[in-house]
Amino acid sequence: MILFRIALRNLASHKLKSFIVGGLLAFGTLLLVVGLALLGTLDVSMEKSVSNSITGQLQAYSADAKDKLAIFGNMNGGTDIGTIGDFARVRQVLESHPDVQAAIPQGLEGGMVYGGNIIDTKLEALRQAEKAGDKETSAVVRAHVRRIVGLLAADMAKIGEVTDLANASTETRQAVADLATAGNDAFWQDFDRDPLAAMEFLENKVAPLALNAEMLFFRYLGTDPVRFAKAFELFEIVDGQAIPPGQRGFLFNKLNYEDAVKHKIARRLDKMKDRLEDGKTIADDTDLQAWVKLNKVQYKEITFQLDDRATKQVRESLQKHLSSTEVALEKLLPLFFEVTDANFATRYKLFYDVVAPHLMLYAVKIGDTMTVKGFTAAGYPTSANVKVYGTFRFKSLDKSALAGSLHMMDLMTYRDLYGYLSADKKAEIELLQKASGVKEIKREDAEAELFGGGGEEVVDAGAATPTDVAVAASPVDEAAAATQVAAHGPSKPAGGLGERASNATKLYRDELNKRVYTQQQIDTGVVRNIAIILKKGVNQRAAAASIQALLDKEKLGLQVVDWRTASGAIGNFLWVIYSVLAAALGVIFIVAIIVMNNSMVMATLERTREIGTMRAIGAQKSLIVQMFMAEAVTMALVFGAFGAGLAGIIIAVFNHIGLPAWNDVTIVLFAGPRLYPTVGLHHMLIAGVLVSLVTLFSTLYPAWLAMRVTPLQAMQDAE
Amino acid sequence: MATGQPIVALTGVSKDYHLGKVVVPALRNVSLAIEPGEFTVIAGPSGSGKTTLLNLIGCVDVASRGQVLVDGQDTGTLTEKQLTRLRLEKLGFIFQSFNLVGVLDAYQNIEFPLLLQKTLGKQEREKRVRDLLERVGIAQYAHHRPGELSGGQRQRVAIARALVTQPRIVLADEPTANLDSHTGTAILDLMQELNRAGTTFLFSTHDPRVVSRAGRVVRLIDGEIADHDASAADRLAIQ
Ligand SMILES: Nc1ncnc2c1ncn2[C@@H]1O[C@H](COP(=O)(O)OP(=O)(O)OP(=O)(O)O)[C@@H](O)[C@H]1O
Ligand SMILES: [Mg+2]
Repeated sequence: MILFRIALRNLASHKLKSFIVGGLLAFGTLLLVVGLALLGTLDVSMEKSVSNSITGQLQAYSADAKDKLAIFGNMNGGTDIGTIGDFARVRQVLESHPDVQAAIPQGLEGGMVYGGNIIDTKLEALRQAEKAGDKETSAVVRAHVRRIVGLLAADMAKIGEVTDLANASTETRQAVADLATAGNDAFWQDFDRDPLAAMEFLENKVAPLALNAEMLFFRYLGTDPVRFAKAFELFEIVDGQAIPPGQRGFLFNKLNYEDAVKHKIARRLDKMKDRLEDGKTIADDTDLQAWVKLNKVQYKEITFQLDDRATKQVRESLQKHLSSTEVALEKLLPLFFEVTDANFATRYKLFYDVVAPHLMLYAVKIGDTMTVKGFTAAGYPTSANVKVYGTFRFKSLDKSALAGSLHMMDLMTYRDLYGYLSADKKAEIELLQKASGVKEIKREDAEAELFGGGGEEVVDAGAATPTDVAVAASPVDEAAAATQVAAHGPSKPAGGLGERASNATKLYRDELNKRVYTQQQIDTGVVRNIAIILKKGVNQRAAAASIQALLDKEKLGLQVVDWRTASGAIGNFLWVIYSVLAAALGVIFIVAIIVMNNSMVMATLERTREIGTMRAIGAQKSLIVQMFMAEAVTMALVFGAFGAGLAGIIIAVFNHIGLPAWNDVTIVLFAGPRLYPTVGLHHMLIAGVLVSLVTLFSTLYPAWLAMRVTPLQAMQDAE
Repeated sequence: MATGQPIVALTGVSKDYHLGKVVVPALRNVSLAIEPGEFTVIAGPSGSGKTTLLNLIGCVDVASRGQVLVDGQDTGTLTEKQLTRLRLEKLGFIFQSFNLVGVLDAYQNIEFPLLLQKTLGKQEREKRVRDLLERVGIAQYAHHRPGELSGGQRQRVAIARALVTQPRIVLADEPTANLDSHTGTAILDLMQELNRAGTTFLFSTHDPRVVSRAGRVVRLIDGEIADHDASAADRLAIQ
């Protein structure tokens, strides 16, 4: 006890030194406790958000996979995770395991969709008007279509200026010619003579040219939607409805649907509204100012979609609202979008009341059937028609693009796109054979035809005969394929073997969307990976090992990984933070060790006579060492406790107010917009032990020096 | 006192210091016995080996040749740990520069050796310390730190610390050298008084006034004992 008394007195008598060293120790402890508490909480919250939204606690995928499963993407981008041949069997085995609640089939793919094309939409309106004999509407719509054709031709001309038209591809030259035809007075004068033929020309030749800008690329998760919704707590439908049980269908992720599918200007206004509600102002916020500018210059996104009647209505409303006599919408809209903090709310409302009803607010509407294009495992372009039932989100993660970029597709459609011959797909091949009059299509040709979107595309790409298709198409790179596909219209699944085949396929595909599959049918077939939901309270690590053992025993050729590994780069994120924390602590503690060591060595030298005296009057060496240790421990205790206490207060404060997430990744990590960290006793203990170790370590050398002080040195300094 | 056996007995003790290749003989063939109750002064000019002799007796250094017996134990055969133990149990030290522990107050400095010994309970310790504080005349400064005390007061604390374990002998190397003559005289008075109460003292000095107070003088010149049991009058004559 006397030693601690001496230690305390020593600390007190060297205030500056103690303050510096103690400050370092306290800061190190503070950082350690706060860091450990945050990471501990993060670990829990991240598990919650990742495993309750998509991954489940464990994931199983092929043991032969070339790449690692990375559900949220990874750095090197490899996605060859192999396939699981027979899900039904694997599910049966997995769900027989006592720890497993459910095994949910999954498969991640990227695909493209051509959003509803303005010409298609207008042609549909035209068809309706013609059918109803509404001459007036028909005239308005025709004028609008003609205006769009004019705009397209102007765009094409611009491209022509850049690229020499004479040397352009046949495709481009054909497009220019078609636009010229559709822009011709004669075409429109003759329209009434054969409206159907005229509309078919517009639909087949002109509409596709208006596409490129509307191409959406996105990632989707093929799964069993009903079982998925049941298994993942965070999943919820936002708009529309869930995919009906057993049916094919598609659900957009709400966030990405708003971001990528909604009309640009409308979306921007929505984002402005959110931001203003967050307390930002247009006067101060540069993002808001930039958006105002963009809206002003992009008025064409609106005028393009308005026919004469709509133009008139919008013009009148805007004139009235802006008290302007300006006639041109091209002038009125920029004036209208010149919003301020004062008028934003009214203009936002006016936009949705007056302008939006005339717009295609979403490139793909809920209820639409869209054509998803993708690539099979073998690399062929492929497509499927699927109905959009609604949008969904993951609760509390709905602001994160990371969690909000994955859409959902039923497993049957997914398998068709991915390129595995299902019973349905086989039937489609037979249909094609009949329709095209071809007696026999070789297996690979059929696949090229089905998944490759048809010989015509490949011929366009330069291959000579359908037999070459497989060879030519397999190494298609995405960009080339995308442009190929872009040359084809929406809802134009396969063309190659002729219009008849195409129509037959379309009908067949529409029929597919009405089918109801049994659970057996859904389960039977290929999936890429399986989310394993464990029962509550099961030890994850033990379960993983025992499930792996079971799968091995059944020779299923699967590997089981935990959600952290399966999630890819984001799973490593925690390790990155751990490393950063460890590095920071390492630096602080090394500095602390150096400083402490230094000051203790100084102290030893200063105290040589005192130590010598103690030795002379009978103190053993061990006591001198203990004295130094006591000093170190006192230091560690006093300042460590101070740091830990401060850390406790900081964590308590954050636990109260919440630590706000600042980007997509942190929303997922925090399992919501705010993290409410908690500190555990073990965090304090770890910090205590570590700080004591650091302190003791820095005392070793000075203590050794002190031990070597001889009693003689008590006298020497006297002279 | 009762044993009849000397507390310290040196026979043919020599001590050489090695400065590089040069051998400095600090003590040559010294034989000496200190009996219980003595008040002995080691006198001699600077460099004559007084400190060296006290260090050997104080078990903080070992002889190059010869035998040093402290309380009957041959210090040459003891380990460092045993020597330390011997210092703690049998010896008391008073230093020229007092050598108190700066962060402890007078009371705690005096109590310190008892805490090292770990033989007495808290109450006995307190009694003994209070008693000594009284005897050395600094009871009112018990809770002052050395920095707050004068040189004489500090040396009183040091004396109390040396006596607190009731050692067989108290060794003091020039205990008055850092004190003015008035204070030095007072300290000598105190030591003499304590000696009369039973404590054996052995101390060095080259101050003739101190020598005059000694019960016995051991005179060292160039590491050799020049004059054994000279009377006080002789001593003065030598000076
Ligand atoms: N550690 C040492 N190393 C080398 N020589 C030493 C050492 N200690 C003492 N000496 C030498 O031994 C001799 C005796 O020294 P000592 O300190 O015992 O003399 P002293 O009588 O105490 O002198 P003073 O009156 O100055 O204190 C001197 O010549 C001194 O230089
Ligand atoms: Mg000396």
